Amino acid sequence: MKLPEDFDFTQSNLKDYLDCPYRFYLKYILHTKWPALLVDDALVFEERSKAGARFHRLIQQYLLGIPQSRLDAIAEIDPNPDLIKWWENFLENVPHLLEGQRYVETSLSTPMLNQRLVAKYDLVLVQDQSQLVIFDWKTSGKRQRKEWLLDRVQTRLYRYILARAGGSLTGTAEISPQQITMNYWFAPHPEAPISLPYNQKAFQADQTFFENCIQEILDRNEENFFRTDDERKCRYCLYRSHCDRGVNAGDLQGFDAFELDAEDFEFDLDFDQIQEIEF
Amino acid sequence: MPSSKFNLFGYNSTMPLTADQEKLLKQDIKSKYFLQGPAGSGKTRAGTHWLMKLIQAGIPPHQILIFTPQRTLSLAYQNALYQEEVQAPGPVNSLTLGGLARRMVDLFWPLVGVDAGFGAPNKAPNFLTLETAQYYMAHLVQPLIEEKGLFDSLTINRNRIYAQILDNLNKAAVVGFPYEEIGGRLKSAWVGDIEQLHIYDDVQFCADQFRSFCLENNLLDFSLQVEVFLKYLWTSPMCRAYLSQSYRHLIVDNIEEDTPVTHDILKEWLPDFESALIIFDQDAGYRSFLGADVESARSLKDSCDKIINFDKNLVSGDGIRQVTLGINNAIARLKGTPQPNPEPSFEAVRTAIVSPAENPKYFPGMVAWVADQIANLISNDVPPGEIVVLAPFMPDVLRFTLTNRLDELGIPNRSHRPSRSLRDEPATQTMLTLAQIAFQSWETLPERINLAYALVQAIDGLDLVRAQLLTAYAYKKSESDFPLQPFEAIPPRVRDRVTFRVGERYDHLRNWLEKVNEQAELPLDFFLNKLFGEVLSQPGYGFHDQLDSGNTVAMLIESIQKFRWAFGEQLISDEISIGKEYIQMVNEGVIAAQYVQSWETADEDAVLLSPAYTFLISNRPVDVQFWLDVGSPSWYQRLNQPLTHPYVLSRTWEHGEFWDSEDELAASYQTLQRLSIGLLNRCRKKVYLGMSDLDVRGYENRGLLIRIVQNILQHARRETS
Repeated sequence: MKLPEDFDFTQSNLKDYLDCPYRFYLKYILHTKWPALLVDDALVFEERSKAGARFHRLIQQYLLGIPQSRLDAIAEIDPNPDLIKWWENFLENVPHLLEGQRYVETSLSTPMLNQRLVAKYDLVLVQDQSQLVIFDWKTSGKRQRKEWLLDRVQTRLYRYILARAGGSLTGTAEISPQQITMNYWFAPHPEAPISLPYNQKAFQADQTFFENCIQEILDRNEENFFRTDDERKCRYCLYRSHCDRGVNAGDLQGFDAFELDAEDFEFDLDFDQIQEIEF
Repeated sequence: MPSSKFNLFGYNSTMPLTADQEKLLKQDIKSKYFLQGPAGSGKTRAGTHWLMKLIQAGIPPHQILIFTPQRTLSLAYQNALYQEEVQAPGPVNSLTLGGLARRMVDLFWPLVGVDAGFGAPNKAPNFLTLETAQYYMAHLVQPLIEEKGLFDSLTINRNRIYAQILDNLNKAAVVGFPYEEIGGRLKSAWVGDIEQLHIYDDVQFCADQFRSFCLENNLLDFSLQVEVFLKYLWTSPMCRAYLSQSYRHLIVDNIEEDTPVTHDILKEWLPDFESALIIFDQDAGYRSFLGADVESARSLKDSCDKIINFDKNLVSGDGIRQVTLGINNAIARLKGTPQPNPEPSFEAVRTAIVSPAENPKYFPGMVAWVADQIANLISNDVPPGEIVVLAPFMPDVLRFTLTNRLDELGIPNRSHRPSRSLRDEPATQTMLTLAQIAFQSWETLPERINLAYALVQAIDGLDLVRAQLLTAYAYKKSESDFPLQPFEAIPPRVRDRVTFRVGERYDHLRNWLEKVNEQAELPLDFFLNKLFGEVLSQPGYGFHDQLDSGNTVAMLIESIQKFRWAFGEQLISDEISIGKEYIQMVNEGVIAAQYVQSWETADEDAVLLSPAYTFLISNRPVDVQFWLDVGSPSWYQRLNQPLTHPYVLSRTWEHGEFWDSEDELAASYQTLQRLSIGLLNRCRKKVYLGMSDLDVRGYENRGLLIRIVQNILQHARRETS
C-alpha cells in the first residue's frame, strides 16, 4: 500500500493501526470522516479535552517565563474547577525538576523505511548536554503503573525518536538511549512523575517493533486492512456503524484517552481563508 | 501529492540545476540574500534546495522558518522534506502573518489581555473566523440598518456590507494605519456624490462599534489579532526573545504578495536571523486588493547582504515570449509611454495565440469550442494536466457547463478548490430537516416536501412518491404533539403502499427523534453526530456505507461546532438556541457554510478549471492555457466595492489626493498588464482565447484585453510585412 506522500507516522495513527488495520485504512488512506460519537457523554468529553488543552497551554506559558501571577489569575477563573487543582499540583511538585535547556512543545522526526516517524513533545529538557528528559503532562485517567506505561506506543515512539533525532537539540551527532528518560506527570495526582529510563535493549526492541509495523502496513494491499477481531475496540471507534459493529458509542468511563493528542481539541483556525473570500 | 511534475518547481535532486540556481546554492549560508526574478525563473525550486542546504549543514529544522503570504505557498518546502533522500530530523515551521499573529496572541495572551483593553483579560481569547466575524458584524450592523437607516442609499446585499466593513478593518491592520481613520481616508479621496460621504461615515461608525464589541467580549477577528500582535507583542521583549530563539533561519517566498506590515516586521526581524533568503517575484503583486504591496516588499532588499538576480524565464517558449513583448508594447501605447520592446514576430504570435475563426454568439458556443479544442489537444498527446482553463472569476454556471461538456467528451477535469455551500448538499439538508423535527421548540418545522426529500435520503428503499405519500399522512405540524405520527397511525392502504419494511425503518427513526425531542436540548452538532451514528449510518438507512455522505455531514458538524465554540456563551446568556441560530444564519447567507472539496487528492493529470488569480498564486506552469471571456472587463476592472477601496487604503496612496477616472484607468492598465504577463510567464506553448458575442450574463463585451490582443496582431503583422 502506498501511503499519502505527506503522511507521518505518529503515536495516534500507529495506535489506530494496532487497534484495527481497517480503521487505519479508512482514516489515513481514504481520509474518510465518519461523524459518529466517539464516547457517549460527548459534552463532558469535549470539556475535559478542552480543559486538558488549556492546562497544557498554561504550562507552556509558565515555561516561557510569563509571570506566574498572571497565570494564577487565569487558572482561578477557568470554567473547569479541576484545572486550578492541577495547576496548584504542578506548581508544588514540578518546577524544581525542570532544570536544563528547555524545548517546549517541540517536534522531532526520524526516517524509517522511507517513511517519517514524528513526535511532538510537551517538554524536552537537555541537562548537562548529556541527559535528555522528556516530560509529558497527563490530565485524564488514573496514575498508571510503570509496566503499563512502558508498553504504550507513546512511550516507545517518543523515546525512540529522541534517541534518533535528539542530536538536533544537543548539537551532538549521536544520542545513546541511556541518556534518555521519559517522565509522565499526572496532574490529578501530585506525586512525583513516573520515570521511565531508556536503554539500548529497549531501543533495539522499539526499532524492530516500528520497522515491523511500518513494513506490515506497506506490504498490505487495500483488501488486507482487516477489521479487528477484538470487538471491544469498536465501542470507541467512529466507524462502528460502517462496520456493523454496534449502535451506541462506548461510555466515557471506560475510554482510554492516553494517546489522544491534546492538539486534536484545539480550536485551530485557518486564517488563510481570509485570502479566499470575494467581497 | 508532490508528483514528478510538481517537483520540477519544488525540490528535485535528480533534475539539474540552472546556472543561476547553482550560483545561489554556492553562497555561504551565514548571510542574508534577496533573490529576485520573473515568474518561472526557478526561484522557488532554488528556495527548496536552499532549505535542503540548511538541513544538510546540520541546522535543526525546527529553527527554520518558512514565511509566505498564504499557507499553500509553503507546500513546496514542506513537501521537500518528504523526499526519500532527505533525512530531516523534524518538520520546519511555516507561518503567514495571520498565523504568526494568532499563535503569538494565543501564547502570550496573559501579557496582553489587560493592556489591550479586553473586557475579560483572564478569560481565554475567542478567535473569530471570517464566517464568525461576519456573524458578529451582522449582529451589530443589521439593527443599525433597520432602525437607524445606515447605508439606506445603498442597494447591495447586506452580507456584502458586512464583508466590506471587515475588509476595511483588515486593510487598516495589514497596511498599518489606525482603524479610526478608515472613513476619513475614504472620504478624502472621494470625488462625486455627497451621499457617498455619508456612506463612508456609516462605515466608520460600524467599524468602531464592531471593535468596541470585540474588545468587550474577548473576540479577536483577523484585524484585531494583527493589531494586538503588532502593538503589544512585537514590542514585548519576551515575545521577541521567544521568536528570535525559536527561529534562526528564514526563507520568505512570494514576498511581493504580502502586506506592508509583514514587510515592516520582517525588516525589523532580519538582523536576528543567522541566515535569510527572501524571494521576490518581479512583475507580480496580484493580491493588491488584499493589501499586497510590491514597493514595500522591494524595499527589503536594502536589509539584505546580497542581491541575486535570476533573469531568465525558464517556462515560456518563444511564441509566448513574443506575446509578452507585444502586451507590454500595447499597454505602453495605450498609456502613451515609449514602447519598451521591438515589435514581436507576427508568425510567432499567431502560433502562440489561438482563437476561433468566428466568435459564437452565446457563451455555450464558447464553451463548446473550448471543449472541442481541449479534446483535440489531448488527441494530439497533450496531457490533460498540462491544460488549464482560466477566467477572471469562475462562476458556477460557467464551471458547471464546461465540466459537463468535458465529462461528455470523457476528458478528466477538476476545479481548483471549488467551494460549495453545504446547504446545497442533500446529505446536509437531510440532517438539518430532521433536526428541525427533533427540536420542536424551535418552531421551525420543515415544509412537507422538504421532509419527504429528507426521508428519501434517510431511509433505504424509500422513493420520492412513497415518501410524499408517507408525509401526507404521517406529518402533522402541531405546536403541542410530536409532528411525526407512528406508522401504525396511517391508513392500512397507505401502509401497504409504503411497505412494512420501510415502515419499520421510519418508525425507528421517528421514535429516535421523538426521544430526543423529549430530552433536554442537546447541542446541534452532537445531536447530528448521534443521529448519524445511531440511525442514519446503520444498516437499512441511507448513509450506511456512503463514505461521501459521511464526509459531507462531518463538514457540516465541524462548521456547527465552530459556531458553538465561538458563540456558545454569548447566545446562551441571550437565551438563544445555538442550533436554531446557526440554521437561520445559514439560510440568510450570513454564514456561507462553505467547504472546500479535497483537491490535494484530486487527479493531477486532469484539465484544471480555475479563477485566473488562484492559478497565478499556485505557482504551476502549464503547456496550454485557455482564457475565457476575454471580452469581459473583469480581466482588469476592480470589483464594485462601494464601502472600501484597495488603492486609497494602501500605504502608497497620498492622503488628500483624489481618486479620479485617470487613476481608475491607470489601475486597470496595471492590473491587466500584471495579470496577463503573470499568466504568460506560467505558460509554455499556447494560449487559446475563448469569447462569445454575449457573455454569461448576456452582456456584449469588447473589453481591453481583446482589443490589446488584436492590437498586438495588427502591429506585428504591419512590422512583419
